[in-house]
Amino acid sequence: MKSDISTIKSTDISMQRSVFWQPRPAWIAMGLAAILVLFPMTQNDYWIVQLTQLMVYGIFAMSLSLVWGYGGILCFGHAVYFGMGAYIYTLIVKGMIPGFSGILATSIAGLLTAVLCVSLFAVVVGYFLFYGRLKGPYLGIVTLAIAVIAERIAVDWYYIGGYNGLFSIPPFSVAGYEFITPIALFYFVLASSAIAYLLLTHIVQSPFGAILRAIRDNEARAESFGYNSAQHKIITFAIGAAVAALSGALFAIVTEFVSPTLIGFGLSTEVLIWVALGGKEVILASFLGALLVRTLETYLSELMAYYWILFLGVFFVAAVILFPKGIFGRWLSD
Amino acid sequence: MTIILKTERLTKKFGGLTAVDHVNMTLSKGELRCIIGPNGCGKSTLFNLITGTYKPTSGRIAFKSKDITGKPVHIIGRMGIGRKFQVPGIFNQLTVYDNIRVPFFRDQRRSLFLKPRKDSDIHQKITALLQKINLDDKACLPAIHLAHGEKQWLEIGMVLARRPQLMLLDEPTAGMTAAETRKTAQLIRNISREEKMTILVIEHDIGFVREIASRITVLYKGAVFKEGSYETIQSDEAVRKIYLGKSR
Repeated sequence: MKSDISTIKSTDISMQRSVFWQPRPAWIAMGLAAILVLFPMTQNDYWIVQLTQLMVYGIFAMSLSLVWGYGGILCFGHAVYFGMGAYIYTLIVKGMIPGFSGILATSIAGLLTAVLCVSLFAVVVGYFLFYGRLKGPYLGIVTLAIAVIAERIAVDWYYIGGYNGLFSIPPFSVAGYEFITPIALFYFVLASSAIAYLLLTHIVQSPFGAILRAIRDNEARAESFGYNSAQHKIITFAIGAAVAALSGALFAIVTEFVSPTLIGFGLSTEVLIWVALGGKEVILASFLGALLVRTLETYLSELMAYYWILFLGVFFVAAVILFPKGIFGRWLSD
Repeated sequence: MTIILKTERLTKKFGGLTAVDHVNMTLSKGELRCIIGPNGCGKSTLFNLITGTYKPTSGRIAFKSKDITGKPVHIIGRMGIGRKFQVPGIFNQLTVYDNIRVPFFRDQRRSLFLKPRKDSDIHQKITALLQKINLDDKACLPAIHLAHGEKQWLEIGMVLARRPQLMLLDEPTAGMTAAETRKTAQLIRNISREEKMTILVIEHDIGFVREIASRITVLYKGAVFKEGSYETIQSDEAVRKIYLGKSR
């Protein structure tokens, strides 16, 4: 630590500018994108399908990274947005919402409506949470309660499939082209991941992102500068919810079915683990965290049947102790 | 002289305890004022009332002849009252540079979702401020790595960045070495003189008070006990008894 302090001398203007420009994550993101773009050339269908799903979870993790890592909002019900996105998309494209027919029942309309409705829902929830000045564990408990309620509703609501969920979702189609093949879906999800990544990275690097981190670090101080912290948190919550809804809708598109487990407490905690392990303060690290943990889960459950969850627990504890900023967060932040 | 801050019979009760008791205080534009008093005399509560952190039980606060009693913190902040907290209120994870940058975003005309233009004069302003508070060589360091005294200076810089008309400093020299304290006193005197800013300081360190204050208000048990110059206060027997005498 001492050597850090003595080596950094930066009255020079160009060096101070470098505070805003963090080259490494950008290069790593580009490298990762290149690998993913070329991946289908391996023609390994199993992994193409796997990666498509993993990226959906990755988008979900990135949305939580914004809310938790940058906004400092520990949300135990983030899957509510994921699940709502999946359900709303499904209900619309299956023509199950009265009044939504014709152009309103197309895939694109479904996707947009899902994202819009969920972010509006987040604004309403956020209004009560943040103007109610809920923080820390209290906020966690309330969001957890919301997740449990949402799951109960999904299980007991017969019209939306109840416990069994909804099946046979029509494929995503744009102007007559249907995304059915694994490769088409892969690229569709990859493009969505890239858009989500660029959007979120832009937000966290913008002045809004700096203010958000300032509020996270010291809310009283940020407010004394004239920033309305509740308002900033609500906006963050809504953006995070929108991206989570996008990933939920993508999940419905890729797996062609939705069920109450998508909306509940279980997935909400899982995504917290992915993001914590990957590195909650770095968008890309959270994405990689989701990929890593989900891959480990798949491998370990094949390898050691029921004991995998024990191993994962040990791995989680070790990672939190060894890498408090996340496994990837350490390398990807400047 | 124009009056910038005026409190009228300002009172705050916490249950049975009256922390601030009918305080009438006026502050003229450009004045540098110290508030002293023994522990628990209501100094910090008074600050919390002025900044809107607490709502007064009764009484009024007027800032620039506008009633600000009970207004929310961020509104009072926007009206031109800046505050330095007792515990350094800085953004630990942000760099020193970004700590100073955050208050500047309020002036940004473009959407906050757009990156600021690199050629903006804000960079010059930030650099000038960093020089003023002697932290220009630590701009890239996360604020958490600063020494305690440097954190206090950083926070003064952050408050200055907002160009408030009234700056409240809550124990700016707490935990500082003697040399740091002298440097801080000099910094505050400079700000007062160069920026023509009204400054209200809470302080314990009598050496510091002697160095900076033109006028002193003594608080005791929540009420104004005495007001006057350093010499008057120092020679006042009653004040010596409740405060100065004990601390020496």
